Amino acid sequence: MNTSPIRTLGGVLVALLTLGVGPAAANHRPNNEVLVGGAISQTGQYAEPAGRQANSIKLWVDEVNGRGGLLGHKIVLRLLDDKSDTQTAIKLYEKLITEDKVDLVLGPYSSGITEAVANVIERYKMPFVAYGASALPIWEKGRRYIFNIVAVAEDYQKGAVHLAKQIGVTKLAIIGQDSLFPRQVAKGAKDWAQKLGMTVVLDENYPAKQTDFNALLQKVRAAGAEAVISNSYFADSAAQLRQMREQNITFKLYSSTVGPSLPNFPEQLGNTAEYVLGFSQWEPLPQILKHPGMKEYIEAYEKRFGEKPNYHAGATYGALQVTEAGVKRAGSFEGEKLREALATVEVQTVFGHYKVDAKGMNSHEGLTFQILKGQRRVVWPEKWAEAKPELPMPEWSKR
Amino acid sequence: MSQGTEGAGGEVSAASTAVAASPSRAAVRWRWRGAGEAGSPYLLAAFLLGAYALPFVVGLSAGTVRLDSTWFANLVSVLLGGVMQGGVYAMFALGLTLIFGVMRIINAAHGEMVMMGAYLTWVCFFRLGLDPLLSLALTLPLAFLFGMAVQKLLLDAVVGQPELTALLVTFGLGLVMIYTAELIFTTDFRTIPYAPGALQLTSTIAVGQNRLISFVMAVAISTGVYLFLKLARIGKAVRATALNAEVAMVCGIDVQKIYLLTTGLAAALAVAGGALVSIQFGFNPETGVVYTLQAFAIIILGGRGHYVGALIGGVMLAVLENLVSLMVPNGTAMVELAAYGLMICVLLIRPGGLMGVKEA
Repeated sequence: MNTSPIRTLGGVLVALLTLGVGPAAANHRPNNEVLVGGAISQTGQYAEPAGRQANSIKLWVDEVNGRGGLLGHKIVLRLLDDKSDTQTAIKLYEKLITEDKVDLVLGPYSSGITEAVANVIERYKMPFVAYGASALPIWEKGRRYIFNIVAVAEDYQKGAVHLAKQIGVTKLAIIGQDSLFPRQVAKGAKDWAQKLGMTVVLDENYPAKQTDFNALLQKVRAAGAEAVISNSYFADSAAQLRQMREQNITFKLYSSTVGPSLPNFPEQLGNTAEYVLGFSQWEPLPQILKHPGMKEYIEAYEKRFGEKPNYHAGATYGALQVTEAGVKRAGSFEGEKLREALATVEVQTVFGHYKVDAKGMNSHEGLTFQILKGQRRVVWPEKWAEAKPELPMPEWSKR
Repeated sequence: MSQGTEGAGGEVSAASTAVAASPSRAAVRWRWRGAGEAGSPYLLAAFLLGAYALPFVVGLSAGTVRLDSTWFANLVSVLLGGVMQGGVYAMFALGLTLIFGVMRIINAAHGEMVMMGAYLTWVCFFRLGLDPLLSLALTLPLAFLFGMAVQKLLLDAVVGQPELTALLVTFGLGLVMIYTAELIFTTDFRTIPYAPGALQLTSTIAVGQNRLISFVMAVAISTGVYLFLKLARIGKAVRATALNAEVAMVCGIDVQKIYLLTTGLAAALAVAGGALVSIQFGFNPETGVVYTLQAFAIIILGGRGHYVGALIGGVMLAVLENLVSLMVPNGTAMVELAAYGLMICVLLIRPGGLMGVKEA
């Protein structure tokens, strides 16, 4: 409980040391530097995806400083830890803006936390590009200082539902964790199922710490579902798959939102992960996506962090490229000018095309992949498909 | 069940009140016996019957209970799953209840010890190529030593202090363990793909091989620990210390040594629990918190300091959660409500928990 002030104090001290100034001179923008700050979940339940976002942030800061800084100012990064907690995040952003007087804010991770922090940045008129949030309602409240870059939650299962249609599925079960993001994904999946003429025979949520899905899976089977749309993270999606296998329940299609897109999912699950569909905002596939700068970014990231960037990392880097372009266009760090720039600028990033509408929404298109022989292979949309989807999923004894 | 286990572990539950035998405690205990004893078993039985029947009633009215053969197969799978799940949870709850019974310390780092067990097993599996069951031979002695170190360095100082002191110390230990694990293993989720297949019992009922293995191991280990406490000379000394540390000391029992043994044993139980959890579920350094809560709910329900109570509490919670999930519409979202509702109601009827009321 005491870690936060201590850590903050530590952060301030480190910042002061790097600035090479005494405590008395800790005022706004010394030595031609610019203070960029944000709170991101370095611990807690979001630490894994948020950690990869922090990687991209560090990479970008060093690269920008390497090419002379932002508008000629060297970036000093202040990255705090919100401990995956909404209330902590609100406090930290208040502190970053009012006490530390950062020149530029970076977004947090997760839709829930971003939704809360959006109110803070709105009040202080400090815009950011929300690389960590994909729930549509954030942009439906007339906010002016938050910009979207990633595909919205409602479209995460779009590809999976289309693929289910292609293989003749008529009855779907939609299950998911009981929190904002999975619920939004479920809403979108239901809409797509309806549009494509399929019936949702079961729609059920489970608590975040649920580990035992035996009963739920029996219920899904009893409801006659042919395919399972699971709006889940790593632990729940892994448990669902293992328990399907343990109870020898086969569905024609199983698609999970976050779990399968994490790099270690196939490795940790072995062949239990085979044929699973997942969603990705982006994949490190320059030869297929052909976004400018992708190859260089992927190489730099891999060299520094020992693994290829996943979509959390990619989206963050893309958002920072947009921010950089916005600052250049605005010619200033002043909130209102930067907001104008972010609302109008058009950028080709490593993540894809950025150009927002009046609500601040980008129209990013995501990818649906399938785990085949331990590799994620893009199978939808067809224009980017690396492989043909292998559906319906075979029985467990044949995997 | 309430009478049959009379001698089983009642002694330790008695200790939970006897150690701090202040006049007011004694008065409360007396009142339980006097006023509650006659009515409460029937009230409890009636309540439990109602609680477990409720999901069926709701299911019947909602149409999810169909009374055909497929439905019965579902029910049997779910009950089996609940019993197996509960057995594993009960095993690490046993460690928590052991420390509490002997030292009146609530070990808030118990779930972190479970997490440590999961990581030790993971390292053995992926780095050393050891079978998770074989690796227990390596990890359990390690855990025992770890537990003894925790006792020597931390808990010895807080035995007999106000309960909050021990709670804070173990909470701090838990945080240190979480962040150490994050430093070494990062926050990535992990799991062990061990015995993933199904064991087909009938054409429609199957149980997971890993679950069955976990359950059998949990039962074996729990029984072993139970027999040790019941029959072995030093096990009896542990129970004597739990009953009354001062009298035990007067009788020539080295209480410090018993404390060391207790925490060592509890850590080993937690680590064994972690090993069995790691072959079923995903885990990361933060998952320990969930298991602390789970173990806590189980021992409160079963009766603090009571071994058999922990087993019964574990199975009861898991089975009720599964029934609610299977039959109530959107019931999976309500499993926590059901579990904690059960716990609160049982406590209202029997403040000492299911098995905690009986006195030696």
